[in-house]
Amino acid sequence: MRGFNLDGSTPRTPVLIADDLRKSYGKRPALRGLSFALEPGRVLGFLGPNGAGKTTAIRILTTILEPDKGNFSVDGIGSDQPKLVRGRIGVLPESLGLPKHVTALEYLVFYGGLYGLPPNESKASALRLLDDVGLRKRARSLIGSYSRGMRQRLGIARSLINDPAVVFLDEPTLGLDPRGQQDLLALVNRIARDRNVGVVLCSHALSEVETVCDDVVILSLGQVVAKGSVSDVIAQARGNAKRGAGVRIQVPPESTADALERLDGLAFVKAVEAQSDRSGWLRVDLEETQDPGADLRNGNKALSELLAGSVPVMSFETRGGRLGDVFLQLTEGVGG
Amino acid sequence: MSDAPAINEGKQGSYRKARPAWWLVFSREMTDLWMGGKALNLVLVFSVLLGGVAFLLATNSELSLIPPKEMVFEMLRLSLAAAGFICLIIGADSLSGERERSTLEGLLLTPVGRRQIVVGKFLAAVSPWPAALVLSLPYWALLSQGDEAFGLGALWGSILGSLLVPALAAIGMLVSSRSNTNRTSMFVSLGIYLLILVPTQLPGSAQAGSVGQLLKKVSPMEATYHFLEKIIVNSRTVGELTVFLIAPAMLAVLAIGTLLLYYPPRLGLEAGGSGKRSSRGAAVVATLLAASLLAVGQADPATAQEAQDAPFEISIDMEVATVKTGDPVLFDTSVTNNSDADSPPLIVAMNIINLDSEGDVVDPEDWSPERTQYVTPMASGQSVRLSWRVNAILEGDYMVYMVLVPEPDGTNATSHPVASPGIHLTVDPFTRLNPGGVLPLVIAIPTLLMAAVGFVMWRQRRRINQVDAD
Repeated sequence: MRGFNLDGSTPRTPVLIADDLRKSYGKRPALRGLSFALEPGRVLGFLGPNGAGKTTAIRILTTILEPDKGNFSVDGIGSDQPKLVRGRIGVLPESLGLPKHVTALEYLVFYGGLYGLPPNESKASALRLLDDVGLRKRARSLIGSYSRGMRQRLGIARSLINDPAVVFLDEPTLGLDPRGQQDLLALVNRIARDRNVGVVLCSHALSEVETVCDDVVILSLGQVVAKGSVSDVIAQARGNAKRGAGVRIQVPPESTADALERLDGLAFVKAVEAQSDRSGWLRVDLEETQDPGADLRNGNKALSELLAGSVPVMSFETRGGRLGDVFLQLTEGVGG
Repeated sequence: MSDAPAINEGKQGSYRKARPAWWLVFSREMTDLWMGGKALNLVLVFSVLLGGVAFLLATNSELSLIPPKEMVFEMLRLSLAAAGFICLIIGADSLSGERERSTLEGLLLTPVGRRQIVVGKFLAAVSPWPAALVLSLPYWALLSQGDEAFGLGALWGSILGSLLVPALAAIGMLVSSRSNTNRTSMFVSLGIYLLILVPTQLPGSAQAGSVGQLLKKVSPMEATYHFLEKIIVNSRTVGELTVFLIAPAMLAVLAIGTLLLYYPPRLGLEAGGSGKRSSRGAAVVATLLAASLLAVGQADPATAQEAQDAPFEISIDMEVATVKTGDPVLFDTSVTNNSDADSPPLIVAMNIINLDSEGDVVDPEDWSPERTQYVTPMASGQSVRLSWRVNAILEGDYMVYMVLVPEPDGTNATSHPVASPGIHLTVDPFTRLNPGGVLPLVIAIPTLLMAAVGFVMWRQRRRINQVDAD
């Protein structure tokens, strides 16, 4: 078993270990050898375009599906004991169905009971969790009256009712407004840190994965194309990039022409163009060089040139320096 | 780590005090069904239907003199069919509905055994049956007017309903288990229900043939109805009709057994199940069902051997009878060939004489669906039993007797009719059920149920946006 996600911290015993998981639907392989490990207190982003095998992987890891090959363990319990595994995991599925005619408190007490909690303990635990997710005041309201954000938070509370070692969150911010997304991501972070739980976060929103995740696994066509800590994966992808590095610079739209003119004349700039899909953004391709620090220095020089010419700079980012760039680079050509 | 209770193998103490999972699932399903209004609304419709039919029967009894026994039987039939339908559609929604609403995944992700989930859901799907039974009892009691039909109906209706209705709920759940959408599940379940009902709707002539007789035994619904009719209306004994109990019992054992024993390990997020294994299982169940039903069909009850010996002699198994107008009088005659030779074809004709009016002849056409019965030639010593039914139309004092006419041996020959002993029939006035008498019940039960629905809705509305104080 190979572990990863080491970002300088002392390694701890993983709470989730997947070893060479494989699954096919008929002749079509959906998962081709998924291996990774997740330590407690860390958030693992699970990424991939549609059809990459994420859902299959999550369903295997949550015992809904059986793998054709390979195995996994949760908190030391092997996948050959699915009932016990289910006792140690919490899941917020992508399409979370909630009954309309019961209150949040009744709902959580019911699930507590299913995990073996006596009614009084279940109720106390439910109230604590509702407090944690900010639903304490609405504990006795019918779930049918809840907003999308409240329902997601209730789903997270449900996934924690058994005090799991690993929590799987599938697209938890889907359909939420920006404030709702921010609150929920903060909650996810808090769960991992405060409860020392390993969190697996499936999401298409790469920025949120970058914000909240410590580690990442990127799947493409059922295969792992990258895994490790977020920073390692980004650095590795940049190192592997065959095409020249570059930067993106945002200027006021009315200054775009001026900026283009100034940058075009620089010796280290290979090409510069305004991005048609993002108003005011310039894509600057830099000359390739063997010096690993040259990209950053040249980017700074381009920035200085603009500032010297009194072109206001609103934003600046290194191309290939975001998880989104890595994702696009690694899954290029795959439908998503 | 938080202070939330840890659930793992090391905390067995927690499990001891916890409630069984099937009970939790059952409780939640009950809340969904009854507080959500679905079951309550269906039972309300059931009570309105029952009340409407009870009123029609009561009103109709004034015109066509339907005897109480038959009214009880008709109501019982309706109760079983409607309660079965309600439980079938609730069963049909139980798993596919959860799939559609995405609530099944949450249940499957808990450590609860699949069988416990299925058991809890099944018990909840059957829950409308006791409610329907309790709602039906007052109607049966009222329409029976103190006749023993009420006791018999309540006893056998409960027993057979408790076989048939859960079996239908189980069938609904099995269909639901194989359906990803409610629409499919409901459509297929409805089709199965109609198939089960078809034999009960065949015309009398179709039921009389050998295939009709076979259907009566192998069709669970028809066998149930036949059994109840013979017990309640015709005062037959259970011993004579045991064979008709086999089909509903077999259906219950197979449907409920398949649901609770075979299906649970296959309960999954998708309806497909495990391909070949599921198909093989379904084939085994279908074969078992077919084999057992055929076995039932071939069972030949003692009642089928009703013939007795005696020719050119006709006897009746009843001497006197006192009934009320509208009551049926059922009796058998026995025709015996006492001669040494085969008999010619025989015709048995029924006659009714009014003893109150100097022997006026009563037109048997008004009193009985069959005035004559034909007997094919009998061997020496052979006898034939014929069943008769007379409806007591008017009050009075009557003599009912039979005349046995040997068919003459040609146009120039004659024969010597033989008369049977008579039945002295006294018809008392019918204590008519006042149609208005049924009205309070017809109105009160649905009204009470509507009040219950209103209360549930009010209670739910109060909880919609309940906010706790800090």
